[in-house]
Amino acid sequence: MNTEERAAHLAAAIAHFPWLGETTATDLLALLTAELGDPQVLENFRWHGKHLSRAVAPAVILHIISGNTPAAGLQSLIRGLLLGSHNLCKLPAAGLPELLQFRDALPPELAARVGLATHLPAEWIERAEAVIVFGNDETVRQFRSLARPEQAFVGHGHKLSFGIVFDDPKLASVPGAARDASIFDQLGCLSPHVFYIAGDAFSYAIRLADEMEKFDAREPRRALSIAEANAVRNRRAELAFRAANDKRIAVLQSAGTTSWTVVFDATPEFPRSPLNRFVFVKPLPADLAAELAPVRRHLGAIGMWTPSIENARKLAALGASRLCPIGRMQLTPWTWHQDGQPALTPLVRWVDFEADDRVTR
Amino acid sequence: MLDEYERLEAELLAFIRADRGEFNSLALAVHRFQRQWNRPFANFCAAHAEPRDWREIPAAPQSAFKHFALSVAPPELITKTFHTSGTTGEGFGRHAFVNTRLYDEAVRAGWARLGVPKLPHFALVPRPAEAPHSSLSHMMSALEPLASETHWFIDARGHLRGELAEALRDAERNEKSVALLGTALAFLNMFEKFAGEKFRLARGSFAMETGGYKGSGRDIPKSELYARFGETLDLAPDAVFNEYGMTELSSQFYTRGLGRPHEGPPWVRAVVFDPETGAEVAIGGAGVLRIFDLANLASVLAIETQDLAIRRERGFELLGRDPGALPRGCSRLADERMRVS
Repeated sequence: MNTEERAAHLAAAIAHFPWLGETTATDLLALLTAELGDPQVLENFRWHGKHLSRAVAPAVILHIISGNTPAAGLQSLIRGLLLGSHNLCKLPAAGLPELLQFRDALPPELAARVGLATHLPAEWIERAEAVIVFGNDETVRQFRSLARPEQAFVGHGHKLSFGIVFDDPKLASVPGAARDASIFDQLGCLSPHVFYIAGDAFSYAIRLADEMEKFDAREPRRALSIAEANAVRNRRAELAFRAANDKRIAVLQSAGTTSWTVVFDATPEFPRSPLNRFVFVKPLPADLAAELAPVRRHLGAIGMWTPSIENARKLAALGASRLCPIGRMQLTPWTWHQDGQPALTPLVRWVDFEADDRVTR
Repeated sequence: MLDEYERLEAELLAFIRADRGEFNSLALAVHRFQRQWNRPFANFCAAHAEPRDWREIPAAPQSAFKHFALSVAPPELITKTFHTSGTTGEGFGRHAFVNTRLYDEAVRAGWARLGVPKLPHFALVPRPAEAPHSSLSHMMSALEPLASETHWFIDARGHLRGELAEALRDAERNEKSVALLGTALAFLNMFEKFAGEKFRLARGSFAMETGGYKGSGRDIPKSELYARFGETLDLAPDAVFNEYGMTELSSQFYTRGLGRPHEGPPWVRAVVFDPETGAEVAIGGAGVLRIFDLANLASVLAIETQDLAIRRERGFELLGRDPGALPRGCSRLADERMRVS
């Protein structure tokens, strides 16, 4: 099965998972073009300066996948299959049914290149030519120390994302903000913890609460474990106590459940959400870089409104690696640089062929 | 304020010492007092109706002690302040007292209910003078009248003193029963220090462990810890008590050995509630602990903890600190220590 055929089969399987975004074979081939210069380079030598080069994909990629959302793990698997590698996926203990469903949606030849397990057989690390790890910093560090020097290693540590509204007097971005903070129950690295608002942040918070309620009515959150519900409840209680003593804070929440929470918070400091549809709204501080400094190395995506190039220029140096419109924070293009890095380039190895003079271009 | 404090203190001391009084009416009286004089708490209560029953008393989240001076008294009337360990990286909480009469009485009366003999206490905590803000050091000091003598085996830097081994050996030689009291972490450190050694403590000896392994990054199952009590000190699981308490409270819950629920004395009650709905769970159900401690007269009597527990017919079975309450970012939820099989 060549690269184009793999891309076509993968696009067909992706169609069963609309939350991955509309994807064609051309989109996937564009990723190969963007990163490797030519989608054919996995099969044939292609000119590279004054010589020829061919990309060799790892025979086996080990993916260590965390359980927050299926999207990151599935994208990683799809990229591995696009390269033509065999993919071993260590899933979280509770499993990730979406990966199983995806494998079932593949033709047998591709499905045979996917191994899934909730434990990690020792030989998987041995067999892998490349290791991709999603997890917290400690997990990434642990696997990095286990990797052999010749093994390609890509670590994706935990990330914090947020949104900024520069200019939205009609509050047109609010439904998108509610969607970004609700989808995947806010568990993803691209899920916003907070929206910074230039202008009337309190009105934005009130409208966002309305939209969170509507989103919840359309797409209810999954049931939480006691520990997760307690994290939400505890944070609500802490903030309600502070709100009673500090006019800069107000808590808006679903009645009688922990389904959604919007906190208006005009105190300084980047707020960490306990997740599961719990989002902060803050006035945009005069010195945003100073507010973000303590979390700078963990910044992921910034959702922005309006998504103009002028606004993007203001945000480019803050430390985040992705700037996108509010409402599309969870929808990444296949060519995105996850954590600011190319996805395929670190995995492949190049074979150069320096042709003699009789080979002509 | 002080007159009312002293009047309530006297009523509470009578309840603690002689079981004279009634929990519900005392709780409502203490709450009214706190609602009047504890300003941050009063502001919080403004959104809550006046309770008619102790269960309706608004509970302050444990974390509020980090953000506010939760006291009925102005700073000049505060004579003692305990600090929390601040292990979650958000700074530490402060629990302030007008005096420690109620606290000390609650500690001693709660201990007396365990029915343990008066023995030499080997305290695996620093002396109060070396840790003036440690509620645990203060508690061990408050227990001194219920001990035949008290020896302190943690130095000011938090290290186990070398004399402990000799003191244990001496107790063994003289067949003298002793009680060891300390944090689970201190015991774990002690077991590691004494690896391979065995002290055959005399019958009647016992231990009291508390506090988990806060901030140490270490954790072992309770059954394993209790097995080490047997290996090193010759103490059966039933000779080991666990105390559940916290800096933000004045009273303690105890359990003995393995597999039994924690129970508290009559002046403190625990409710296990469903964090989703806020309603109390049925017996056997799991939820979050809310504690109502009448001895917390100078601060707030009802506290919403971050600890999960199972409601039992009497008391509760502790499930431990809720991992979800810890700060976390993406990927933390299902992140596991990867084990290579």
